[in-house]
Amino acid sequence: MARVIVYRILGSIAAVFGASLLAFLIMRALPGDPARVILGPLASPKALVEVRHELGLDKSLFVQYWDYITSFLSGNWGYSYTLNAPVKSLFVERFPATIELALFSFIFTMATAIALALLSTYRRRPVTDGVVRGASYLGFGTPPFFLGVLLLIIFFKSLHWLPGPEGRLGIGAEAPPSATGLYPIDALLAGDLSTFWESIRHLILPSIALGVASFSFIVRLLRANLLEVSREPFLIVARGKGLARWTAFRRHALPNAFLPTLTTAGLVLGEFLAGSVLVERVFDWPGIGSLVYEAIVKQDFAIVQAFVLFSALMFVAVNLIVDLLYAAIDPRVRIPAVTAT
Amino acid sequence: MIGDEGITPALPDGPSPREAGRAGRIAKAIRSDRQLLIPVAVLVLILLFAFLVPTFWPESPSKQDLISALQPPSGSHPMGTDQLGRDVLARVSEGARISLVVALLVTLGGAVVGGVIGLFAGTLGGAPDGIAMRVMDAILAFPPLILAMAVTVGLGVGLSTAALGIALVSVPWYARLLRSEALRIRSLPFVEAAHAMGATKSRIIARHVVPHCMPVLAIQMAAAFGYAILALAGLSFIGLGAQVPTPEWGAMITEGQQFTLTGQWWIAIFPGFFLLITVTATSMVADCIRDILDPRGSYARI
Repeated sequence: MARVIVYRILGSIAAVFGASLLAFLIMRALPGDPARVILGPLASPKALVEVRHELGLDKSLFVQYWDYITSFLSGNWGYSYTLNAPVKSLFVERFPATIELALFSFIFTMATAIALALLSTYRRRPVTDGVVRGASYLGFGTPPFFLGVLLLIIFFKSLHWLPGPEGRLGIGAEAPPSATGLYPIDALLAGDLSTFWESIRHLILPSIALGVASFSFIVRLLRANLLEVSREPFLIVARGKGLARWTAFRRHALPNAFLPTLTTAGLVLGEFLAGSVLVERVFDWPGIGSLVYEAIVKQDFAIVQAFVLFSALMFVAVNLIVDLLYAAIDPRVRIPAVTAT
Repeated sequence: MIGDEGITPALPDGPSPREAGRAGRIAKAIRSDRQLLIPVAVLVLILLFAFLVPTFWPESPSKQDLISALQPPSGSHPMGTDQLGRDVLARVSEGARISLVVALLVTLGGAVVGGVIGLFAGTLGGAPDGIAMRVMDAILAFPPLILAMAVTVGLGVGLSTAALGIALVSVPWYARLLRSEALRIRSLPFVEAAHAMGATKSRIIARHVVPHCMPVLAIQMAAAFGYAILALAGLSFIGLGAQVPTPEWGAMITEGQQFTLTGQWWIAIFPGFFLLITVTATSMVADCIRDILDPRGSYARI
């Protein structure tokens, strides 16, 4: 077990190292001159040389990479010239909104996906199964940002059931006293039920838009796994020894079918936590995604650069946790000799 | 499947009979399978819409007419007009051409580059394999859309850099797939036989490994095609792909989004709807192709 943990952690560090190198090469391939972007077209050559020196652009690529990675690790993520603030503090400020949306959407997505996969395989009715399969295809083909626009037209513009694109709470509403940074939980802790309800209402549409593609994917995966597991001999044994169908299904089929989707679930959560630029832009959600969107529009490359590496870190970290969880749950993973064949 | 190939003798030249059988199976499946017929029909209609509309439709996708701006769908503008009075139908059709062509190029580019990397990594092994796979791991360490985003920001925004970014993201999918296929095929008896008869490594790759990789490659490409359309629209939506006057679907949704809340829904809804049905139909076809070419995975259709 200890060996598996060490091996996985080393693998993750290698992946992040590779990712940082790739991000560095891509972002430094900038055809434009960052010094020129900062100073504007009328800057004197002397000033340009000075700013380039200040940014370390006159050093060798190797030294530049070393500076880039050490300053990222030491918490110096650059400075945003458009917002006049260190990039890291901007990320810290925006991250709770992204976490809130990511967690809510993740729970929502997984719960509906599991329920629908169960419905389509347990009932064994062609109609139910067909509807679930059709929904999963449609969900897969629906662009999240377009679904966001569509949901706003239906539930905000036409029906007035849910709030429009105005962020985490209504405009002018006061945030609950910060304990976790997640509004629904903070509101509950403060005993403020109306704020709790408001924040949940604001979360519903963005969560659906963010989760739709992953939902379809997980439904399909889980459904296929359930069908496969339900033909395993151990399930026949379970039924043969007299277990009710539902008990056999719940105790033996479901856990075994769910295990392989854990990796996918990890990928989904990692992607959600990295912040969705598209969905956050549609709903004006004040998370990291909209920060990056604004940065793209204003050509504030320091933020985009930090975001690219940040997203890889989140992605790899969540996958590492899932891998370790996997090893803890499933004994087959712990013996590399078996998985290697 | 493995046993099946083990007893199939390696044919020296000419198209193998299995190849013909496969094409026949696909044609038959399209005719007999309603689940495949519908998405294929939808895709054909979209193709016709993309390439036939400009031949008879008088409106131009770029001609502005401010007097007739923001008109709802009507006889002369079946999909209405946008904020500059441009005909949405003509723009959606042009958008279809852009999406389909760019997605095709992205898919082919990613498949060729990734496929070659995977084949060489799988057949050469050793250090080249190790290096190539570490590079692929680095690409896979990013959420896909964010890496594509980084490429467009790094190289300058536009349709071509967005396409490049999406293709780069897809390279490891093909590389990993073809590497494992190459490893599997390399150990099959008929490859050993070819080797014993004195066939060179490059001949074995070209004659034996590549043809046997084609089914899995086709499956992956079909799935990646839909992803490419979606990712391109996503990048254009945040201003990184196609730029403003270009009627790319994602860019059109961005332009139309502000008008949806004031009642002019048609500007954003029509391109979005076409995007949705194109990607949905593509992924359904991709699924069916997988079931036909790879019967091992056919439990997904029970």
